[in-house]
Amino acid sequence: MFPILRPQLSFAQRQCISVFISGGQMLDDEHLNSWFRREILPLESLLQGYLRRNWRSSDDIVELRQDVYERVLIGARKGGVPADARAYLFTVARNHLINRAKRAKIVSFEALADLEVFEPLADGQSGERYFIARDELRHAKAGIEKLPPRCREVIRLRKIEGMTAKETAVILGVTTDTINQQLKYGMKALIDHMLGGPGKIVRNIGKIGSRNSEAGQ
Amino acid sequence: MTRHRDIEAEALDWLVRKADPDWATQDEEQLNTWLGLSYANKAAYWRLEHGWQQAQRIGSLGKWDEPTRSFRNKLKWWHPVAAAASVMLIVGFDAAIPESEPHYAPPQHFQARIGERTTVPLPDGTKVEINTGTAIRVAQSEVRREVWLDTGEAFFEVAKNKDKPFVVHVGKQTVTVLGTKFSVRRDADKVTVKVLEGRVQVDGDGEGGAGAAIIGAGQFAVTRASSTLLGSMPEDRIQDAFTWRNGMLRFDHATLAEVADEFNRYHRKPIEIVSKDLKGMEVGGTFQAQNVDAFVRLLRDAYGLNVNETETAIEISD
Repeated sequence: MFPILRPQLSFAQRQCISVFISGGQMLDDEHLNSWFRREILPLESLLQGYLRRNWRSSDDIVELRQDVYERVLIGARKGGVPADARAYLFTVARNHLINRAKRAKIVSFEALADLEVFEPLADGQSGERYFIARDELRHAKAGIEKLPPRCREVIRLRKIEGMTAKETAVILGVTTDTINQQLKYGMKALIDHMLGGPGKIVRNIGKIGSRNSEAGQ
Repeated sequence: MTRHRDIEAEALDWLVRKADPDWATQDEEQLNTWLGLSYANKAAYWRLEHGWQQAQRIGSLGKWDEPTRSFRNKLKWWHPVAAAASVMLIVGFDAAIPESEPHYAPPQHFQARIGERTTVPLPDGTKVEINTGTAIRVAQSEVRREVWLDTGEAFFEVAKNKDKPFVVHVGKQTVTVLGTKFSVRRDADKVTVKVLEGRVQVDGDGEGGAGAAIIGAGQFAVTRASSTLLGSMPEDRIQDAFTWRNGMLRFDHATLAEVADEFNRYHRKPIEIVSKDLKGMEVGGTFQAQNVDAFVRLLRDAYGLNVNETETAIEISD
């Protein structure tokens, strides 16, 4: 599993590798959570794009993304909120990919130095999506429309009309287990969609999969 | 590499559980303990919670004024919830709507509360009479007429239009007609269709078991789970099957338990047969559905049974 090689970067670009942390006091969970939501989660689709471009196996993207989030939280907790959340996130991501590749003992460290580096954007040129409220609603609706009909129905009855699993089961004529499973598939896909992902149903929730890992192919 | 997948599944469980009405303080404590175990747990839970809050804004929508057309599915399936405060009004789509549908008007809700009976005229000339404790939803488009019966009982006098099928959804069941008079009743998972005129097609859930059955005037179909019973009503009983439309209940060799159940559909204070051996007692006659008192009086005066009215029930014993 090789990271995809990138062209050599300029010295200025390499400077971005340093982590920007300001402040210094420990963050409590409430602040950490709100910072994470406000600054990091809106970058999810960018982050996933970065991971996808720089990591061979797309099966690993979700795991890598959560690894990065975990490290981002630990770092911010210890060091305070970084001044530039974007630069911080992509630096953590890059370092993590390097560590993962090193552990995989497949590529030399030299090759890893050429991993794509996050390029800061000029002010006001924010690459991520910012929705105005109306767009958000449309976006949410588009996510719902992507769900399979039965799943969408369960989401609607349970979460929008506020029915219990039992009531929903009666109306749809299926078991409550089915309702709960469908609900989880639908919520997961919808959350994924809201955060800029493809919003597809993933059916392996809660099952121990046999995805490949750094053991390599 | 499934560590985060497993964590995500757990986080999703927490998120679902937290929305339960019976979520308690100790559940909150357990969740906090779980979150405190690792930042991976926090990252997963906070991410899901945040994404879900974003998605839930749709719940606050009154109406979709501009349905997006970017996806193949063009269902008009969202409906104002705020107006539908009563549980009775909550409707189940059966997810059986064809995707080629050109346009959907917002479905309309109608209901008859316990003890009420009302007639709903539809734009196409069809009349729907809904009986006590009934909730329906109606959607008519350019190519199709649809009604969802969520609870209770309804009688349909369908305006003939062979180009626009009239479909009644009852749970997983569908009843398709072109123009006829018939009733549909839903009791939990049991669906009863009785035809007064014309013919209707009753379809099962398409998941094995019951297939389609066509029944005509004077016939009935009772479906439960995936089995369907078809039968004919005796000539002189056909009209009896529809006496509720006049606010009457007609019984012929029914048991007291059956009669009580029937009356109880119309009243909030149920009749309870306390003595077990009374349940099988045969009762016949025609009664006003609204007038439970008259019926109870008859039990007391004509049959010599004890009637004891409490706060919550009318108890019958011998």
